[in-house]
Amino acid sequence: MNNQPAAIEHHHLPIKIMLYPAMLFMLVGMFVGVFMAFNAFIFPDYFAGEYIHFGRIRPVHVWHVLLLWLVSANIGLFYYMVPRLCGRPLWSPNLAYISAAFWWFSLIIGTYSYPTGTNSGWEYAELPLWVGWIPIKLMFVISWLIFAFNIFMTILNRNYQKMYVSLWYVMGVLIWASFTIPVGFFAINWVSQGISRVNTSFFYVHNLVGLIFTPMGLAIAYYFLPKLSNIPIYSHRMSMIGFWSIAFLYAWIGVHHIIHGPVSQWLQTVSIIFSIWLFIPVWTVVGNLFATLEKNWHKYSESAAIRFIMLGNAFYLVTCIQGPLMALRNVNEITSKTDWIISHSHIALYGTFSFFAFAGIYQVIPVITKNSLWSKKLADWHFALNLWGSLLFFFPLLIGGFLQGMMWATWADGGSYAEFHNNFANLSFLHTTAEMRPWWILRGIGGLVILSSGIIFVVNIFNTIILKSEVALREQLA
Amino acid sequence: MSKQPNFFYNIEQSALITFIGIILLFSGAVLITLIAPSQLDPTWTEPTNSYQVQMHEVSDPNLYISSAGALAGLSERQYVYHLKQGYTLLAFQETELTRITASPELQKYITKVEDSNLKLTSRLLLLRTPKIGSEAEKNAEELRKNLQKSWESEQKPAFTILELYDPKQEEAFAVASGDTTIENWVDKEFTLSDDAGQHEYHKDVGVIYVKNPHEYRITRGVFGQEKEWHYDPNGAPVQTLDQLKSHELAFRSRAELISLGEHIVAIEGCWYCHTDQTRTLVQDVVLNGSDSFPAPPSSASEYIYQKITFPGTRRIGPDLSRVAVKRPSRDWHKSHFWSPKTASKGSIMPSFRHFFDDDPRGTSDIHPGIPNYKFEAVFQYLMTKGTRITPPTQAWWLGKDPVKTKEIIEGRKTLQ
Repeated sequence: MNNQPAAIEHHHLPIKIMLYPAMLFMLVGMFVGVFMAFNAFIFPDYFAGEYIHFGRIRPVHVWHVLLLWLVSANIGLFYYMVPRLCGRPLWSPNLAYISAAFWWFSLIIGTYSYPTGTNSGWEYAELPLWVGWIPIKLMFVISWLIFAFNIFMTILNRNYQKMYVSLWYVMGVLIWASFTIPVGFFAINWVSQGISRVNTSFFYVHNLVGLIFTPMGLAIAYYFLPKLSNIPIYSHRMSMIGFWSIAFLYAWIGVHHIIHGPVSQWLQTVSIIFSIWLFIPVWTVVGNLFATLEKNWHKYSESAAIRFIMLGNAFYLVTCIQGPLMALRNVNEITSKTDWIISHSHIALYGTFSFFAFAGIYQVIPVITKNSLWSKKLADWHFALNLWGSLLFFFPLLIGGFLQGMMWATWADGGSYAEFHNNFANLSFLHTTAEMRPWWILRGIGGLVILSSGIIFVVNIFNTIILKSEVALREQLA
Repeated sequence: MSKQPNFFYNIEQSALITFIGIILLFSGAVLITLIAPSQLDPTWTEPTNSYQVQMHEVSDPNLYISSAGALAGLSERQYVYHLKQGYTLLAFQETELTRITASPELQKYITKVEDSNLKLTSRLLLLRTPKIGSEAEKNAEELRKNLQKSWESEQKPAFTILELYDPKQEEAFAVASGDTTIENWVDKEFTLSDDAGQHEYHKDVGVIYVKNPHEYRITRGVFGQEKEWHYDPNGAPVQTLDQLKSHELAFRSRAELISLGEHIVAIEGCWYCHTDQTRTLVQDVVLNGSDSFPAPPSSASEYIYQKITFPGTRRIGPDLSRVAVKRPSRDWHKSHFWSPKTASKGSIMPSFRHFFDDDPRGTSDIHPGIPNYKFEAVFQYLMTKGTRITPPTQAWWLGKDPVKTKEIIEGRKTLQ
């Protein structure tokens, strides 16, 4: 990477048209999330109506933060990172524009159509086949395939012989996602009805997390941590072990979403075994990233972006200790179907991969706008508020969810059905829901803090884009 | 790096291994976790029992439901069976107080009070009140006198005498007696008449049948400013399916409603808060159980008639997989959808007032409490949950569950 010829003209527009809207949609998504935290849980159904009740709004939140924000931002960062790792400009900026046009068009229309009743009913694949006459799903898939092809061609025609670990992850994402997304979107309707479709759905759901969000985030962390800190990655071999174990393990574990459910026991056992093995890739990644900064922890306090990667890494450790353990039958009995799950998914997708994306954006924006960051102080605030907001968000839900699971388990105390039923008569389902309220309030406050940190972030970044930095201004005035 | 005409040449070994390795590992996982299970485990693709199959394939498409009918402005829900010659199995069953008279040729189709076997026929016959002045009416009067004579006590009950007749039609629309969630089902002590057996389901171990059908007739009227229609045994018969499904009568088959209900569950996002699986855990079979019996855990075969299945990942509200047994009341669901917070105290569920045209509590002057087709669809969808996993004669809420859930959980062996 050191002998990068200065002459390469990198394309910045593909990066910009993915990153800029993504950050704005992140704010919208966070706002919808906070709205739900209050309007569905703390003051349930205060604003009531066909188009704004929880069931119609939830997919709007999920599709904002997952697709309109996280994947879009990651694609933008790929457009930055892959050409630089290949030592050549993006293979075709025009394809990137076409892909982005399809991407934003289909996702925006799809996401904003949910309140009108277009949800297709499969988790993370809610996108409707048609909105009016517009084939939303197909356009989305085409957009992804164009993007994948473009990045793939960039890698094939690269100028550096050696492939850095991030490129491995990138290639993995391209292949896995190009298979997983069509399976979850279309093939699910071709398998036989009932549990076969549920199985396919969870295969898709977990691959989306494990084979798209995870490798995207890790590619970004592996690229931007050395860039931000100027320290080479601790061990290339460890990162390879991580990569191959992810490739080997993730596709097997979808069924762990319905442990104790109506699927074959042997399939549940298979998913549990592979879930436990996930400790391997996680610990290699976590160890590798921490070890990179091992002798230079002072850099942690110098840059908010590095702090984001390190905190994201810590949350990655948390979420990936939870993940395999939650797959164990006895732990699953308590945690499954409670707010523990909601916390777990937020730790992974917000606490880890969104944090990695923040770090990437802090590195990318000054380069592509040729302005230094507008305010380092706001970046520090962004990190600090995210840290506290996340703790307020994640841990109350973990604790509350665990307690609710324990309350449900008390129905099973005793030795006869009469006793079980008596337990249930004394502690109704609605009682256990009511017990959750304090935890939901804390979650709502955490959400507000996170939302305010998001506003700070977006203001800071857009000021960097539009205005000159504080430093530059001061220099001008002096 | 030298440029070669064939770009595959440019992929050096490590990239090639990456590519092939990823694809190999991935396809192995796909083969074993996605493709193999539905081949290996028959419960994934085969139905649980004949009752489930017949409910979905015979009963649901031929039972029509409408809430558009009204008498004096009051909504009347209508259930109409679409009877087909040579297909629908019919039973004409007498009780102590309801007797049937028929011409000698049709006598053999009547199940008398003293008969132990239920007689079923696929010949399209109907019941009616004998017409005044007809031969049947004279027979009926005679029968009534004989019955009252033979009645021992001083107080003589008013016997209902119906006439069994052949309408000589290929199909007919009828009202009949029965629960509309759990259909009439017989699996022992029944005989099929000679004409039956033309259809595959007639040969099953048990059969769904329509009991004591009367022709469906309506009368149109005016209430205030509004045109209305209602069921009237002396009205004009509904002749065709098109008329039944017309905008005016607005009937939809239960199959259409269940499928629509599934769609509504998807678009309203019910499944974000309600799971649809009784897990193999004691707390789940207790949560969904009745007062005396635990609910059997869900099996894969329960879901085979659903285009979309909602196993769910979060239980903010209670589980729905046995809701038709726990909450069978249509009125309960009406008030609950209108205002969950008042119908079940402490609930955080949003209200679904777009399932209603007017307040179901009857505060509106014109149409007191008319739930619209969306409510009917969701209700019919929910009523399939837990009622079709065994025939009604083997039902778990009667303690006859073949899975033996109670024995298993009390002995704390593994539920599967």
